Amino acid sequence: MLTVEHLTKVYDNGTLALEDVSFTVPDGQFLAIIGLSGSGKSTLLRCINRLIEPTEGRILLDGEDITKASQEDLRRIRRRIGMVFQHFNLVHRSKVITNVLAGRLGYTNPAMSLVNRFSKEDVDTAIDRLARVGLAEKAYSRADELSGGQQQRVGIARALMQEPEMVLADEPVASLDPVLAHSIMQYLEGIQADGVTVLCSLHFLDLVHRYADRAIALNAGQLVFDGLPDEIDDAKFEEIYGREAERVG
Amino acid sequence: MTDTEPSRPELTLVDDVIPDVTPPEPPEKGPRRRLMIVLGVIAAIVVYALAFDYTNVDLAQVSSETRQQSLTRILRALARPELVAYDQERVITQLDVSIPCGAPTPVTSSGGIAVSPSCAAPGEIITISGSGFDAGERVTLSFVPDTEFDITLPLRTINAADDGTFSFDATMPDRESENTQQIQVLTEDPIGTWGDRVEVWTDTNENGVRDPAIIENGSLDVTLAAALPDVPGVAIVDGSEVVEFISYGEGFTATSGIANRELAVPESEFTPGPNDLYIGGIRGEGGTTTVTLNGPNGFDTTGWRLALYDATTTELVEVTGVSDLYQLSPRISETTWVSLDRIIETVFLALVATSAGLILAIPLSFISARNIMQDISSTVTNLALGVIAIPIGGLAGITLARVARDLTEPLRSSWIGDVVGIAVLVAAIVGIIRWAVPPVEDEPPTRSEKIAHRVGLIGAGVLGLVVFVLLSDLLGRFGTAIAPNMGVFSFLGEFFATLGEIFSGLTVVIATLAGAGVLVNFASKAGYSLRHRLAPAVLRPLNVLLAMIAGGIFGLGVMAVLDWFYRFQSATVTLWAPLAVGAALGLALAVRGMSSGQVNVGLSTYTVARTVFNTLRAIEPLVMAIVFVVWVGIGPFAGSLALTLHTAAALAKLYSEQVESISAGPIEAIRATGATRLQTIVYGVVPQIVPPYISFTMYRWDINVRMSTILGFVGGGGIGLILQQNVNLLQYRAAAVQMLFIAIVVASMDYLSSRLRRRLV
Repeated sequence: MLTVEHLTKVYDNGTLALEDVSFTVPDGQFLAIIGLSGSGKSTLLRCINRLIEPTEGRILLDGEDITKASQEDLRRIRRRIGMVFQHFNLVHRSKVITNVLAGRLGYTNPAMSLVNRFSKEDVDTAIDRLARVGLAEKAYSRADELSGGQQQRVGIARALMQEPEMVLADEPVASLDPVLAHSIMQYLEGIQADGVTVLCSLHFLDLVHRYADRAIALNAGQLVFDGLPDEIDDAKFEEIYGREAERVG
Repeated sequence: MTDTEPSRPELTLVDDVIPDVTPPEPPEKGPRRRLMIVLGVIAAIVVYALAFDYTNVDLAQVSSETRQQSLTRILRALARPELVAYDQERVITQLDVSIPCGAPTPVTSSGGIAVSPSCAAPGEIITISGSGFDAGERVTLSFVPDTEFDITLPLRTINAADDGTFSFDATMPDRESENTQQIQVLTEDPIGTWGDRVEVWTDTNENGVRDPAIIENGSLDVTLAAALPDVPGVAIVDGSEVVEFISYGEGFTATSGIANRELAVPESEFTPGPNDLYIGGIRGEGGTTTVTLNGPNGFDTTGWRLALYDATTTELVEVTGVSDLYQLSPRISETTWVSLDRIIETVFLALVATSAGLILAIPLSFISARNIMQDISSTVTNLALGVIAIPIGGLAGITLARVARDLTEPLRSSWIGDVVGIAVLVAAIVGIIRWAVPPVEDEPPTRSEKIAHRVGLIGAGVLGLVVFVLLSDLLGRFGTAIAPNMGVFSFLGEFFATLGEIFSGLTVVIATLAGAGVLVNFASKAGYSLRHRLAPAVLRPLNVLLAMIAGGIFGLGVMAVLDWFYRFQSATVTLWAPLAVGAALGLALAVRGMSSGQVNVGLSTYTVARTVFNTLRAIEPLVMAIVFVVWVGIGPFAGSLALTLHTAAALAKLYSEQVESISAGPIEAIRATGATRLQTIVYGVVPQIVPPYISFTMYRWDINVRMSTILGFVGGGGIGLILQQNVNLLQYRAAAVQMLFIAIVVASMDYLSSRLRRRLV
């Protein structure tokens, strides 16, 4: 279970990105995070695995305080949390399989990483994870030879490589065309089906309706909605996205 | 991948309010603006006038006739690099003149050359003309005065016109004589055409005889370009002295030619001594005669000649130098060979400098990359403890290195000890690392386990140091052992021996750095626990105290460097002042750091590193080479050291800019998997920077080749040395060879590096 308590993030330049955000995610839930660009969705996700240091508040994963963890403990916490990015964040010049194997780094001896060595077991697992996203035959291609949709599937395979308890997906489909979006979302749904908690920030409301168990909404760093996707009515919509926004489709 | 903004079909921002803004007026072109333009133009004119004045722009020089002739001369010389050498035959024609008129001038034309008139008063003009020369052939005209000395007065060197003629109005010198005097016309014709075998006289001591030819394997065949007479006689002549004479035939005595002293030893009575040169045989082949000389190996036949006589007529048939020197004409000139040797030296000099600079630049590029350094911040406590820990750790490292060297003394007595020592220790180190850093960490280790692991790793580090000592010894031993047995490849042995020495020197450096690193690491751990255990009321004064001590140490360190340069010889200056200033700075930092809690160590390191690199880069390698030449002596080593230093600074900057421009996404993704900082660099940073690093290294090698071509100007080795010599000696044709080589190498490096870079990036 993930518990976020009074989370506040103020950037060095004074921007208030998150203000007193609190919520709880039970294990195995698919939680959508919605809100305008700049509303703090990415900051929230990155505070959870401390890619961004929170300014105040606590984040508890199964009772362990992530915000207080030492570097060594943080390594153990991070490896339990997979992450999928809007721009896929693959290392372009590396092979696909190396990108997937990178998901194993939290478990690997740093000394071995110096010489680029992974165990046979890890390599087999990586091929297996790639097969799960339908890209086993691309294992030895360079990452930048793949299309956007394929790159995001490699990103998912990398997250799966961590054997995560939770996956943070930061607008995983925002850089892809809508047809591909569903394919990616279905992989995330499949991960959830294995009992993994999924926190996913989304722009498309129909994707929220279709895949999420629950949605929270941020506006200017504040939590303005926490409920079922179906509860987002016109009034809520206006509150989340502001007065000028217009619902389409 | 596209970086376009995500499309949001469900959501459009209604932009119904278009603000009613009138477009801004274009800036007014008032008189003020015009005045500024006029002033600007005037200022520019003044600046350029000054610039012309300072750079001595002088068109009179450009257009003056003598200057233009100089330009023509040098350009023509440069256009004909002395790549090949022709053997030349000097053709001298002398024509009679009389100054003033009176003396007989029987020869006024010869071989197509004529003087007209054949007599003149001093200062008057005699026209010398000729025809039948090659187009552009150099003709040297001189006046041969009537003296007892063998001198000529140069008049002019001119080139024959395209039709092979020349004509020159020579002003007669003030050399009056009752006797006939001469005008000398000299041409030097190349002997032979492509592929001809030309007999060469190498005569460096100008004694009119060939230079040494050394006897090998007991004999030396000398070919005389004359048929074997029916009854030949051969004499070995040293100068004018007949040393040995043999005759196939009867009644022959050497009376003519060079030998003026009779010397005839009947063959039967001649018994050569062990050090004698003697004629071993004579035989005729076709139109030539081959004489075999016997003598002790290594016998130097300088100044010796062979005389072939016809024993019947007692006529000298042929005289030749002993050595059988034939060369192809034209042949590759000495200048070309020397230049080739030096350009290879130049390329290797650049290679060594680039590689060494690269090794230094890679770690430095990380500490001078803003995006890597800016996040590294430290608390005042940690920083102060770290500064205190650095000298202690460094000293501990040096001591350890010394101990490691002393303790391994018995092991290093033979190579077996080295090999066994290295094998055992490496096994031990691998074992320790396996134990201390398990491949997969499932459970967090307990506190005692953690401490045991740390101690184990430090132990492994110490063992690693010992391995390094043994390895350097083994390398040196291996190199010195194989060098004498490798013949032309002995340089490989010397290379290993030198590597051993470098490793040995590096041991101390690595030990110092490692010692300091380990202790700083400990200090930061200690600082962390102090900060979490102590109450702020205790921590603050402690912080201030630590910061002051650290500042004092820092001040002493800086002063130690300054004192080395300036030798102050005053305890107040060298001890108390830096302590006080350092402590004050520490205090200031502690007070300032208390409000923010953090000191941005990374950014400070970055700034210092950048400043140092920029300073080093600003100093031309040529200037650095001057210092290194004084240190390690004239030669390519000094040049490569200078280039290394400059390359390290330049590459560190170029590399760090590459590190700064890598995309942050993959790094973020790798960090998110729980990777350590080291793993993040290996998997997230390195793949992104390898191609630009290679590209910049190639580029730098290219630059270094160019720079090393001129390092020789200050004695830094490479081709520049001979280029400068040739320029100073006005041997522009030889200099042109070096320039050509430089151009070829630089252009091909440029081409090669750009191709490689295109393929990599």
